[in-house]
Amino acid sequence: MKNSAFFFFILFMASLISCKKSADTPASFLTTPYQITIPSHFPSKLNIPSDNPMTVEGVTLGRFLFYDGRLSGRTDPDSMMSCANCHIQANSFVCGINNPKYTNGHPFGITGILTPHYMLPMINLVWADHGYLWNGAVSETNPAPQSRNLEDIVWMAILAPHEIHGDTNRTKALIQSIKGYPDLYKKAFGSETVTIKNTGKAIAQFVRTLISANSKFDRFLNGAEQLTISERNGFVLFMTEQGGDCFHCHGGDGNPLFTTNLFYNNGKDTVFDDIRDRYHVTLDPSDIGAYKAPTLRNLAFTAPYMHDGRFKTLDEVIDFYSSGVVWSPSISPLMHHVATHGVQLLPQQKADLKAFLLTLTDSSFVTNPDYSRPPKMPDEK
Amino acid sequence: MHFQDFTTKAQRRKDQDNNTNVLASLRCRGNIILRPGHPFSFLSLIFLLILSYSCHKDHSPEISALKNGTVQIDFLHSVNGNVLVFDSLEYVTSLGNQYMVNDLQYFVSGLSFHQSGGTWVYIRDSSGIHYVDARIASSCQWQITQQLPTGNYDSIGFIFGLDEADNRSGRFVNPPERDMFWPEMLGGGYHYMKMNLKWKNQAMQETMPFMFHLGIGQMYSGTTADPDSIIGFIQNYFPVKLPVSTTISANHSSVIGVEMNVAGWFDGQNAFDFSLYPMGIMQNQSGMYRAALNGRSVFSFQPIVYK
Repeated sequence: MKNSAFFFFILFMASLISCKKSADTPASFLTTPYQITIPSHFPSKLNIPSDNPMTVEGVTLGRFLFYDGRLSGRTDPDSMMSCANCHIQANSFVCGINNPKYTNGHPFGITGILTPHYMLPMINLVWADHGYLWNGAVSETNPAPQSRNLEDIVWMAILAPHEIHGDTNRTKALIQSIKGYPDLYKKAFGSETVTIKNTGKAIAQFVRTLISANSKFDRFLNGAEQLTISERNGFVLFMTEQGGDCFHCHGGDGNPLFTTNLFYNNGKDTVFDDIRDRYHVTLDPSDIGAYKAPTLRNLAFTAPYMHDGRFKTLDEVIDFYSSGVVWSPSISPLMHHVATHGVQLLPQQKADLKAFLLTLTDSSFVTNPDYSRPPKMPDEK
Repeated sequence: MHFQDFTTKAQRRKDQDNNTNVLASLRCRGNIILRPGHPFSFLSLIFLLILSYSCHKDHSPEISALKNGTVQIDFLHSVNGNVLVFDSLEYVTSLGNQYMVNDLQYFVSGLSFHQSGGTWVYIRDSSGIHYVDARIASSCQWQITQQLPTGNYDSIGFIFGLDEADNRSGRFVNPPERDMFWPEMLGGGYHYMKMNLKWKNQAMQETMPFMFHLGIGQMYSGTTADPDSIIGFIQNYFPVKLPVSTTISANHSSVIGVEMNVAGWFDGQNAFDFSLYPMGIMQNQSGMYRAALNGRSVFSFQPIVYK
């Protein structure tokens, strides 16, 4: 029996050694996986980096940081800034055209410098591919390894003069000094030490939880609700080549994200001077004047529209696609109605198309308490 | 599914080899010897097998696949013998229209390999469906992992597009295949092909976009601009059978080149005039019909040898 006991001891030790995952994983570091429930018809592939799995602890920390103005590294109320200063839940995480601070919905940084582009909504980014921002510059193909994913946008925002205009060391030091945060970092990442890398990871995890899948159109797709006649007629226009032909770039019943996440020159201009268009990422002349097709979900909240916010209302957008499209050498081949300057909708068709677009409104997204500012910050009792 | 089953079997064979090695290794150390008949030897053996099987990673599918002989389809794209160059207005149709190709994406399905004796093998990898984006090199190679009987094959067959059984809405939820979806009200399923072009004739000052898209066609009782007047649908997929010359042997991966001559879609006895379809062809069955007739002869076999 003595030999047998020794033998089983050896076997037990061997099993521990052979199945060990990582030598540097703290023994006390345990996280709870955050489960994303994939809505019906949505993609099954999630864009979650292997080095930043979703955890309850990471999302919790990220939500605090997203809303905490001390992310700026400053404590003066006039100079504090967090993501939520501009990314406002009630507006699907854009600042909104009626924002009392940001005139016409154009945000600016802490020093008053306007952002180069207007805002893209933060909706369903866990399915984002082909990069982030209007030109997709932050993507896996970026030569700079620190500028490739959603996580990296956090340090960029901290440093950018037109955003937080801060200092990462100051941010780290301040967050480190705030009671409650070190413990949250330890729970999420196994160390109390505040790093910008983990800060980016946590905020990215929170942003990936922002899912919209409960619009009237979603319920229609799931057979739970009917569209009105006008909405239904607008849906037909949206989905047909001889109608509005919106679906090739913006998805539809076969792509409920309502974006392909690809880049198109949609015929707004004939002269191009924006150094942040898609062309300045790819250097492909066919990308001149091209920008990411934004999701059409929650359009009701995300005015103004286009990368430069040139259209203040949904009616202006529809008018543009109906009769305002202009030709340029790099216009997308999908803009096949350019010969007639657009799809030439009649007034009733415009109204129907607008009615359909408004079925993409998901009010539960903009009121979801899980996406809101936490009732208390980590150092508040 | 067949691929997964095959891999699992191969992995199991490799795991069995590894388990044998673990036992041999332990035996050779001298201080632990499993004696036949020992009360714990059987349990220990089971434990070691489970331990080795459950903790083992990094199987090499390439090795197991090569054991049985495989075949790869390389999709090539040309214009009258020259490699297709995107975004370049250098091509002219038989009707004298200049054109450039901006995007070329399509499905092939129902791939089969045929021998002169009449035997044939139907490929079930990825449900027998492959998506090609001519701009993405990786999508232009279809590595078939399904085992094929060794021997000479003199033809292959496939469906251009998707037939009724395969063309089910919602089967692809992820990009890039997802973005080929064809509106449900126009017949549903997926585009067989998206070829996005720009073209011009001598009367035109500038190039104009043209969406050469193929999928399920519609029959209208009224205007084609009114999907409510659709009274029926028409399948526009078509079979392609190509004579090939290839030998599949054990432990060898053969490559078959399938070349699409893009010009073939527009030239020939069904010459395609872009100016006749200012609203595209998704809702114009006569345009898709003409295109599909041309499509039957755009593919050819190209022998490929990788050194």
